[in-house]
Amino acid sequence: MAEVEKQLLLSPQDSSRGECGEEPPNVGTAVGVAEPAPPSAGSPVTEEPAEDTKKKIDVLLKAVGDTPIMKNKKWAVERTRTIQGLIDFIKKFLKLVASEQLFIYVNQSFAPSPDQEVGTLYECFGSDGKLVLHYCKSQAWG
Amino acid sequence: MSPPETGSRRRRGAVLSAMSLNLDSEDDFCLEENRFKQYCAEFIKHSQQIGDDWEWKSIKDFPDGYMSKTHFQMKNGNTSLIFKDSTKESDDQILTHVEEALDDSQVAGICATSEVIRYEYHVLYSSSYQVPVLYFRACFLDGRPLTLDEIWEGVHECYRARLLEGPWDTITQQEHPLLGQPFFVLHPCRTNEFMAPVLANSRRENRNINYITSWLSIVGPVVGLNLPLSYAKLVSEQNTKAD
Repeated sequence: MAEVEKQLLLSPQDSSRGECGEEPPNVGTAVGVAEPAPPSAGSPVTEEPAEDTKKKIDVLLKAVGDTPIMKNKKWAVERTRTIQGLIDFIKKFLKLVASEQLFIYVNQSFAPSPDQEVGTLYECFGSDGKLVLHYCKSQAWG
Repeated sequence: MSPPETGSRRRRGAVLSAMSLNLDSEDDFCLEENRFKQYCAEFIKHSQQIGDDWEWKSIKDFPDGYMSKTHFQMKNGNTSLIFKDSTKESDDQILTHVEEALDDSQVAGICATSEVIRYEYHVLYSSSYQVPVLYFRACFLDGRPLTLDEIWEGVHECYRARLLEGPWDTITQQEHPLLGQPFFVLHPCRTNEFMAPVLANSRRENRNINYITSWLSIVGPVVGLNLPLSYAKLVSEQNTKAD
């Protein structure tokens, strides 16, 4: 487990790792969470380090329309994770097929571009220590 | 949203509502042309505030018009070097920061004018689909237009595989309805489908949204057009004031 944890933290751009799943704050079954946190991880999510040194932000994912609801809604996400990475992660989590498109919205109405970083979105739209994102499945793009 | 214009549409909408559990019929979210123009006006107003270069273009002697924006981008989709349109009166060319990862050969490539592409985006209203439509064209600085293959290369990786799979929402080349020149078009046939959940949600939550802002934020990135986050914040401020 410790080995997996290290690899997740050292390769944050590897979306196949699903690192959005590590250290979810309020869920019993965590994915790939190890006991000792390597120095680069800083404190566990439950602590409150200074805002500017906090590596991860808390994201709350809400489904729109008839999109399946995720059992785990709260995730700790690396600031540098992009929207595209998050989309890939949610699609895998919900087991959507490749032809199904998933959109993510801030303020329930605006789709940030795929390269937008979650950290930036948190700074602009976060409140109460978390970023609320709505996601919606659509067949729009075939 | 505005009420349906004709009696038959209202009846059809009522029947659909009665027949299905889903009360949010797609018909409820069609965009009227006047609303289209209003949303565009609000959008452009914000664009002017943040210097995003969108303009409304009218056609002489016609009531129709469209939103237009031109920007420059590197061929490989590297947008770290963005030049303002030199034909505009306002500013001198502004060079934004260059990514540090670039090595000398890449910098030399960037300086070559053949690598810079001029994109022109137009937002028009489609009466037949009752939705906005994104038209665009692209050419190199020497005037050579991009081929369809080159346009495909510019589609964000996030969407490329799915667009190639799909038979409907594709990029096709059509004559611009108002200018009569060849443009690429992002086909609007599925616009209602992906807009409906967003609009239904906003209605349920009693939030005002700008249809054009939401729509463009979704379709724009497919063809290299990214809206600054500022547009999303504008909506949020309006809703806060309304609360």
